[in-house]
Amino acid sequence: MSKFDVINSYAPRIDCPDKATGKAIFTDDLSKPGMLYGAMLQSPHAHAKILSIDTSKAKALEGVKAVITSKETGSVKYGVSPARYDETMFATDKVRYVGDEIAAVAATSLEIALNAVALIQVEYEVLPAVLTVEDAMKEGAPQLHEAFTNNLCAEVHQEFGNVEEGFKQCDIIKTTTMKNKRQDGAFIEMQACIAEYDRRGTLTLTTSTQVPHYVQRTVAMVLGMDVGKVRVIKPYVGAGFGIKAAANHQELACCFLARMLKKPVKMNYTREQVFMYGRARHQFSHTITTGAKKDGTLVALKHECYLDGGAYTSFGIATVYYTGSLLAGPYKLPNMSYDGYRVYNNKPACGAQRGHGAVIARAVFEQQMDMIAEEIGMDPLELRIKNMMNTGDTTCNDLNMSSFGMSECIEAVRDGSGWDKKKGNMPKGKGIGMACGFFVSGAGFPIYRSDTFHGTVIVKLTEDGGTALVYTASAEIGQGSDTAFAMIVGEALGIPLENVRLASGDTDMGVDLGAYSSRQTLMTGHAAKEAGEHAKQQVLEVLAEQLDTPLEDMDIKNGCIEFKNQTPDFSALRTRYIKEHRGWTDNPESEKLTFKEASRIAFLEKGSIVGTGKYRPHWLGGKFKGAAVGTSPAYGCSAQVAEVTVDMETGQITIDNIVDAHDCGKAINRNSVEGQMQGSISMGIGETMHEEVIFNDKGQVLNSDLAEYKIVTAMDMPPVKAIVVESDEPNGPYGAKEVGEGAIMPTIPAILNAVYDATGVRMNELPLTPERVYTAIQAYKERSNA
Amino acid sequence: MLLPKFEFYEPTSIQEAIDLKKKYRGKAKLMAGGTDLLVHLKKKLVTADHLISLAKIKELSQVQQAGDTLKIGTCVTMSQLSKSAVIQEKFGAIKTASDNLGTHLIRNRATLGGNVCNASPAGEALPSLIVYQAQVRLQGPEGKRKIPVESFFKGPGKTDIHEGEILVGFQLPLPEKNYGAHYLQLGKRKSSEINVVNVAAFVEINPADQTVKTARIALGSVAATPIRSFHAEDVLTNKAPGEAVFYEAGEAARHKDCQPIDDFRGTAAYRRAMIGVLTKRTLETACKLAMAQ
Repeated sequence: MSKFDVINSYAPRIDCPDKATGKAIFTDDLSKPGMLYGAMLQSPHAHAKILSIDTSKAKALEGVKAVITSKETGSVKYGVSPARYDETMFATDKVRYVGDEIAAVAATSLEIALNAVALIQVEYEVLPAVLTVEDAMKEGAPQLHEAFTNNLCAEVHQEFGNVEEGFKQCDIIKTTTMKNKRQDGAFIEMQACIAEYDRRGTLTLTTSTQVPHYVQRTVAMVLGMDVGKVRVIKPYVGAGFGIKAAANHQELACCFLARMLKKPVKMNYTREQVFMYGRARHQFSHTITTGAKKDGTLVALKHECYLDGGAYTSFGIATVYYTGSLLAGPYKLPNMSYDGYRVYNNKPACGAQRGHGAVIARAVFEQQMDMIAEEIGMDPLELRIKNMMNTGDTTCNDLNMSSFGMSECIEAVRDGSGWDKKKGNMPKGKGIGMACGFFVSGAGFPIYRSDTFHGTVIVKLTEDGGTALVYTASAEIGQGSDTAFAMIVGEALGIPLENVRLASGDTDMGVDLGAYSSRQTLMTGHAAKEAGEHAKQQVLEVLAEQLDTPLEDMDIKNGCIEFKNQTPDFSALRTRYIKEHRGWTDNPESEKLTFKEASRIAFLEKGSIVGTGKYRPHWLGGKFKGAAVGTSPAYGCSAQVAEVTVDMETGQITIDNIVDAHDCGKAINRNSVEGQMQGSISMGIGETMHEEVIFNDKGQVLNSDLAEYKIVTAMDMPPVKAIVVESDEPNGPYGAKEVGEGAIMPTIPAILNAVYDATGVRMNELPLTPERVYTAIQAYKERSNA
Repeated sequence: MLLPKFEFYEPTSIQEAIDLKKKYRGKAKLMAGGTDLLVHLKKKLVTADHLISLAKIKELSQVQQAGDTLKIGTCVTMSQLSKSAVIQEKFGAIKTASDNLGTHLIRNRATLGGNVCNASPAGEALPSLIVYQAQVRLQGPEGKRKIPVESFFKGPGKTDIHEGEILVGFQLPLPEKNYGAHYLQLGKRKSSEINVVNVAAFVEINPADQTVKTARIALGSVAATPIRSFHAEDVLTNKAPGEAVFYEAGEAARHKDCQPIDDFRGTAAYRRAMIGVLTKRTLETACKLAMAQ
């Protein structure tokens, strides 16, 4: 039995009734009186100089209210990381990818706006384009940004311990290379926004975003407004996966047009524009060398990686650091070096996506663990347990594992999958594989340097006493954060979930850095807990006075007041409450004094009861350059076992089942935890098996729709056994930490290890299309026959 | 992307549709389910000032058995085919193809006539129609005609339909005894796929000596149109079915009959190899079904 009354249960999500009945409001459902429609002109060329822009014909079209280019908007540089502000709302001198924004139109209908876009005349001088990392790094290659020579957006060089010395002690050294393909988040809701500007100078942007706070700041900066004059509202969002974790051009253009015209303006990306905008997982090319002793002890790891960055930085600096830093665990590894290069080229920018930066590095490393195990004749699962860090350990790059249920996860998937019986005994064409992984539970620092709280929460008790209202600027994007925070407040306050009402996703409600880096449950959760406790404290203070009972002898549980000792006579309070409620039908008759009565009395004594909560991490991590990326108050960890069947004649892989155990510290809502585990596996399978953004030699996306960009269908999804492991994270609210991203880390290597088990073939390139697997099997057969 | 503006018509008789088509000639397009056409219009790959929907012509949405032939109206949807008793019982390779096209939502709208008129080399139902010797029924201002579906395709998106003609349906001979047919396709994922290759096979067994009396094999996605694999058929004819023969037929299809190209869905070499495997496998199942009768 759980010692909790609200959290740690399977709670129906508070957004479910509206979403299940189609009543939930998303941005595109909204329209405003007098609203105009915006559309953007985007570059048809991968690389070109803009010689001139003529908007006169577009402006002359009836129904067109404005046409803007960089001439009107100026060229304030922005981006994700202040260290690399390399974007402007519209291109000024040149365009750097097919889709680079050049102009925007506002008109009385979308049709007119699109027609006007077609009337904008741009004279280009087409420049040679570079579309791959290799071409971009060649001597004499066309350059994208003057400030960054050799198309090098960012490079990282780190060494912890002494890798060369480490390798000298090793009996086994494995070097492998691997690359994945550029991904698309493939969220169902395409980016959309509506901007309004009132006569008092307040700009309100309603938008499909993961990060109202960062969008607010970026809009204010680019439009030259006070942050306080910009309000960002996030209605329900149909997922983001990292792609919506920064302001986009459309939001900026929409705001500019609304302010200029003093009319609401709505803009939407089409699915094709979602692909053109990009910002999803990079293509990574890894070379990793891992050294171990013959007893299996890991000693050293040398890692080199090239990231196909696209035309702008986006999250790229964080990405290139994450790629290196998150290999330092979950195994004890004293020596590690990393050389990372993020390279510009004339394709859409890549950014952050679930498992930011670390997923493919993990896929390489976890295969090498299996190679080492095979060579020394050890069960790969045992090799992992042998090298596993312990709770409280710190990695060579200063990541502290304050809670660490990794070994429990391994044991859970060992039992759950029947590993001991199956490993080594699979019939021909079938295989079993496992892998581990971990991920941050919230970035330790905000994206901009600041002492800001990462999250604030307000709990206001309604004056009738019945309900707790929760206000948070955090971002529910489909992951279930609203329900989690309502549950946490219910738990903290001692009232059932049904008596908590929550509003979120509005910058007017406070500061919250938003839904990225798997931060909200831990960080906003802390603030929610504190706010709930603060409100409770105030109610109990009034009671203590009224009942002449020491505060510490009282508590609120399940909506009633609990007294440690004898229950004092509260009939005077009840009479007063009932008097207040003359004519009402729900007079309390319970033996216990209810929260409703107590909070009403508190209001009568003190006025509105408002509890506030806040959170910012304690100071985290090392002092070396880049130490801020990868540090986190906590790390979630997971282990997975995958079973596959490979059709040796066609190369088709069927994933038969996956057993997943994830240590989320403490499950706030078990439904959401298991949902995140399922969702992570689905995304991991897609990336392993068939997802890949394909470009032609002109830099155009060839598969910019969900027919040709192949995400997992229900038919591809195997049965998943999701096992929740709880390690009670000391830095988490009620012991909770992340599940949203850590759960994707083992999926790719578990499948790859299973495919190797089935076929004897190591795949070094994703996705595992039937053709790629078939070709590898054929090559393996030829090698074996030679 | 928005749909361009067009005038929309919903005639209730074939003659009315023919008249409309005649009136607007090249500026009009016929629409059955619209699952390809509307996307093409949106992407501006085709243009049409007038769109003539065939959906309200009741007789075009029927599956009818008449004596030893089966008539399928042009507007019969994939879902309808999947659920049709006669299709399930006598035309298994069409059933499998219609189960496999697109997604549930698409199958509820996409029609057999549309799939044929779209004439994609990878078209889901086309190999099956070919091996069942379906005839295309056309009707136009000049009257009616019937041609084998096999000779109807002229290239990607190109057919033998004449200006002003409407494909009103299909006529298929009901297979007699001792036959079996099967359809297989290969894509990157397990549903909602656009085929890398697809193969249908029809086999009739001579009950006297259990040899193959007739074999028809059709290959998709490996030429400008779906094609017959005559060399593979020759391998089988008059032979006793078995693993070696199926393999040999697959190799004949792979090396002698298909002319695939490289594109972003797959290379020619892989397509060839898969034609070999899928031909072998469809024949295995088709022969097994034939001999079980």
